[in-house]
Amino acid sequence: MLELRLVQGSLLKKVMDAIKDLVNDANFDCSSASFALQAMDSSHVALVALLLRAEGFEHFRCDRNISMGMNLGNMAKMLKCAGNDDIITIKGDDGSDTVTFMFESPTQDKIADFEMKLMDIDSEHLGIPDAEYQAIVRMPSAEFMRICRDLATIGDTVVISVTKEGVKFSARGDMGSANIVLRQNTTVDKPEEATIIEMNEPVSLTFALRYMNSFTKATPLSNTVTLSLSAELPIVVEYKIAEMGYIRYYLAPKIEDDEEETKPEA
Amino acid sequence: MGIKGLTKLLADNAPRGMKEQKFESFFGRKIAIDASMSIYQFLIVVGRSGTEMLTNEAGDVTSHLQGMFYRTIRLLEAGIKPIYVFDGQPPDLKNQELAKRSSKRADATEGLRLAVEAGNTEDIEKFSKRSVKVTKQHNEDCKKLLRLMGVPVIEAPSEAEAQCAALCKSGKAYAVASEDMDSLTFGAPRFLRHLMDPSSKKVPVMEFEIAKILEDLNISMDQFIDLCILSGCDYCDSIRGIGGQTALKLIRQHGSIEGIIENISKERYQIPEDWPYVEARRLFKEPNVIAEDEQEIKWASPDEEGLVSFLVNGNGFSADRVTKAIEKVKAAKNKSSQGRLDSFFKPAASTSIPLKRKGTSCTLGSLKPWGRPKMASIPAFSCWYLPRVSGSARLPSLELSSKHYVPFSRVVCFS
Repeated sequence: MLELRLVQGSLLKKVMDAIKDLVNDANFDCSSASFALQAMDSSHVALVALLLRAEGFEHFRCDRNISMGMNLGNMAKMLKCAGNDDIITIKGDDGSDTVTFMFESPTQDKIADFEMKLMDIDSEHLGIPDAEYQAIVRMPSAEFMRICRDLATIGDTVVISVTKEGVKFSARGDMGSANIVLRQNTTVDKPEEATIIEMNEPVSLTFALRYMNSFTKATPLSNTVTLSLSAELPIVVEYKIAEMGYIRYYLAPKIEDDEEETKPEA
Repeated sequence: MGIKGLTKLLADNAPRGMKEQKFESFFGRKIAIDASMSIYQFLIVVGRSGTEMLTNEAGDVTSHLQGMFYRTIRLLEAGIKPIYVFDGQPPDLKNQELAKRSSKRADATEGLRLAVEAGNTEDIEKFSKRSVKVTKQHNEDCKKLLRLMGVPVIEAPSEAEAQCAALCKSGKAYAVASEDMDSLTFGAPRFLRHLMDPSSKKVPVMEFEIAKILEDLNISMDQFIDLCILSGCDYCDSIRGIGGQTALKLIRQHGSIEGIIENISKERYQIPEDWPYVEARRLFKEPNVIAEDEQEIKWASPDEEGLVSFLVNGNGFSADRVTKAIEKVKAAKNKSSQGRLDSFFKPAASTSIPLKRKGTSCTLGSLKPWGRPKMASIPAFSCWYLPRVSGSARLPSLELSSKHYVPFSRVVCFS
């Protein structure tokens, strides 16, 4: 038995927009503490991890740890039918093979029930160890989106380098190249407009812009974005969801071609 | 070909060892491919109508080149790094099997002649497919093509499957792709079927994992090899009246072929005279392969001029299509540097139990291994808070119950 009531239903719609381009089908994991999802894209290059804590819901009931396999495209289509001010309730009964989304208008004069079929999804969960990152950059999310979009017109990949001076995004392609440097900037009127760089060691990594651009679909969820980089690890692009949790994207870096030798696979 | 009835035997007895995978999920993986098997398939399928096949101006068949070129590009575009392995000299034990095949082919050729005379189109189709033979020239053509494309080619001293399995064992390849089940008998840790099928068929790739298969069958690798020999392999006869299912039972009971010979009733089962099962076993266990250090495997940039002159000028391919295809190969080369996430993070288990009750498909012996209930495991997000969980906790009782789930007693608390 599961019943989750979320007053700001539009948040769920935004979450769907942030995930559905990257992943087609995924298992939502619900416990007594949270509603979460972890899924990889089909080529196992990127991973999205969503966490919505129980405290953020008006009502949160989940008796045991449950997973629900959903087609995210279909889920997004159903949630599109909810009004932006609607209250959304997610309901599921034990042993049922459907989940129900209930949309209530703020004035309570319209109630819509959408029932969606669940799927069996055999997905692999990855254990993501806590890591110390060599550099952490916090910046306005709209700025990050703009940078990724602009660089994608130049090339397929972006090199993100963090030094003491700032963070540099660069791309090159057939028509030329582009470099965008952001400096640390904390003297702004609003805290969310700041660019804050914490760096232990300079780091420079290359990533596919196609994935970065699909991560920026989460921009409406948060004014700021945090990029965590380490030479040994995938980048983490995190959007905090106010008072509820986060959506985090992990992307494996591109490796130089000379390092062709096979890593032992576990 | 391969091991008789092994697919079904595994589906019935070790469904956990078989998994349907999306073609895309092999992104970035190095895959050792049994080239001879692929060429054979191409000759049968690609560009054929009746007895007519794709040919160049000189009248030589080019189906194998067509197939090899475009299917390899499909792999490259998906970020897969193929390594093609060609057959060398077959082991002596296989001569009998090869002679059988060759006589079947002769029959088919004869049948084809009669069918053509009679004008029976259905039979023409049937017999012409059966009379296909991969010649040395076909192999050489494909090797030349692959080298021009920058794809590594390995010539096995003996059986290609054995070499593929060796590559996979030494970690130079992630998996072996073939249609021949004896790749598993040769000890390939991971074996893929249907990887080379055309995308239009929409067949998912079937991944076999030997470790899980052995675990489910509850036998050792040596016993698995004996099981394959008993089921019927290319190298020697099997005991009449013993199929896969019986063989599995006997192996579990008596441990090995020797044990079985000692214990089964000689009246009921006729053990072949001078049965060379020991040699067959040795061929599977210690096949003739190139040692892992002696070979360099490199993916290079394609030789554009070489490809154009070989395919367009030499074999009548359309210049337009070849140029476009080369562009694809080059684009794919750029993509190949993208790393996979699971080389950084390792799989962890999850405790969530599906809300959706999975119906009757989880009965034992079901042919649909993917329909079984999920193992109980720890939800993903706990990985951030809990110490790393390694391995997956399995509840054996869960596997057997199709109606009721055992309540999971462990509660994960979050701060």
